[in-house]
Amino acid sequence: MIGVGVPVAALVHSQVPSAFSGVAEGLTLVVLLSEFAMLRAPLSRSQIRLYSFQSLAVTALAAYVAAARGIPDLYALAVLSLGLKVIVVPLVIVRLLRDARVELVASNRLSVATMTLLAIGLAVFAVFVLGSLPVHSHSLPAAAFNLSAAVILVAFLLVIVRSDVISQAVGFFSLENGVSVTSLVVAAGLPLVVEVAFLFDLLVAVVVFGVLMRVHHGRTDTLSTDVLDRLKG
Amino acid sequence: MVAGAELSQPVIQVGQDLTILVFAPGVSGAIAQVEARFQGRRGPRVLQPYYDLAKLFRKETLVPEDASWVFLAGPVVAFMCYLVVPLLIPELTTYSLPLGYMGDILGGGFILALAGFSVALAAAETDAPYAQLGSSRAMTFAALIEPSILFVTFSVALITTTDLPYAEAAAARSSFAAAIRPAHLLAALAFFLVVLNDTGRIPVETHSSTLEFGMIDEARTLEHSGPALALLKWGSNMKQLILYVLLINVFAAPWGLAGSRQPGAIGLAVVVFLGKALAVGLVFTLIDNSFSKLRLFKITEFMAAAFLLAVLAVLVLFLGGGA
Repeated sequence: MIGVGVPVAALVHSQVPSAFSGVAEGLTLVVLLSEFAMLRAPLSRSQIRLYSFQSLAVTALAAYVAAARGIPDLYALAVLSLGLKVIVVPLVIVRLLRDARVELVASNRLSVATMTLLAIGLAVFAVFVLGSLPVHSHSLPAAAFNLSAAVILVAFLLVIVRSDVISQAVGFFSLENGVSVTSLVVAAGLPLVVEVAFLFDLLVAVVVFGVLMRVHHGRTDTLSTDVLDRLKG
Repeated sequence: MVAGAELSQPVIQVGQDLTILVFAPGVSGAIAQVEARFQGRRGPRVLQPYYDLAKLFRKETLVPEDASWVFLAGPVVAFMCYLVVPLLIPELTTYSLPLGYMGDILGGGFILALAGFSVALAAAETDAPYAQLGSSRAMTFAALIEPSILFVTFSVALITTTDLPYAEAAAARSSFAAAIRPAHLLAALAFFLVVLNDTGRIPVETHSSTLEFGMIDEARTLEHSGPALALLKWGSNMKQLILYVLLINVFAAPWGLAGSRQPGAIGLAVVVFLGKALAVGLVFTLIDNSFSKLRLFKITEFMAAAFLLAVLAVLVLFLGGGA
């Protein structure tokens, strides 16, 4: 075409990632962004809804990897995680919340902007640490691998800065989401048994957190963990 | 290329300016109309902004007693700035027009910032508390949104190894994989939030409110009247359309631009551009009607979200974007 000076197309240097890693990275980013949203979410209920949405993104990633790489096992995993993580676990937590009948407002120890900046720092740290590892593969969407580590660290931050049981439980569950993303992008061919063992872990965690929540609420009449540092007579 | 009926490049460039100048109030009017419809009102006519401008140009200008010449120069300088920026951005053409390579994204950003600064300066000239409050708030939030703009620029620079808006648009057009690459989408989303902030839309500011306490940009113009106010209003409409150009033709949908200098192609590009601008306006209206305005001290959360998206765009590019 007609142009003055340098033709624009000649300026486009940077290599474009393949459509597969583009989509995989996009879905991982959705997982990471919903983790950030959980950090910000003012209500426990919206946090649980975000967890469900995040799990949906993980499910979509599993189905996409299954289709793109031709691994039918992963379809089974996708179905399992759709049933458990998107539907059952959120329902169970919501039921527990309803029984507890306390205020739904989750508590922040820091202001939202500070938390976000801290979390950005953690994400950058995770991405650069994993980026320096000599893990390079032709078929590996590299950014997705690094970003999944960021999901895990931000989930830790969520558990640390929030002082209510629901946020801490949701943080722990979403940490499991980060681990499954890592296993999906790094070792898509991981045997189904191992993946199912992860899911079983999650179920155990749900039961444990459920019991913990009930006991805590029964003793202190609140879901906040701030009261735990007081001595009891 | 067919010789003959081809427009010369300066003519096209002036055409870009005229498109912004002439259609900016109309686009604002159309958006206001759609917004009113969503709220169940009939709304003002689409051409209402033009009538408002005509009315204001016929009125006299009143200057506060203590204000100096800056009070009247501010709106003029801002208006000139808004006339310069369309010369530098891919509004109608895929190829860069004369001197188009001179102004990169930062250059355009500086000129827009100069416009905002001169309006704020003019407002600070008055003794009126609300105008001064508006100008101080506008400058504060402009500083807070700046990191996001910088990181969007960084991600463009990493994608194209330049920071020319034309190159970013060409990169997005080059293939499907390039258009859906996460870094591009994230940068586009971050820029969307920046535009939301800079056009004074709902999570940040109610653009049609008359309540001074919530105002940021709007409050700056409270003391102006007559032709000066007309220039300010026209300028803010133009600024909105310029930001739409950047959002649409650099990030969101850089398709439908003219690749040649045929008058027909250019004319089609104008129509397509206006259609895209109205579509973006519709999205902004939907957001306007489905969210509530943030409290002033919560706006930092909005800025943090934009910054997060822009930082992630750069992160993704550093790792795996090129490999």
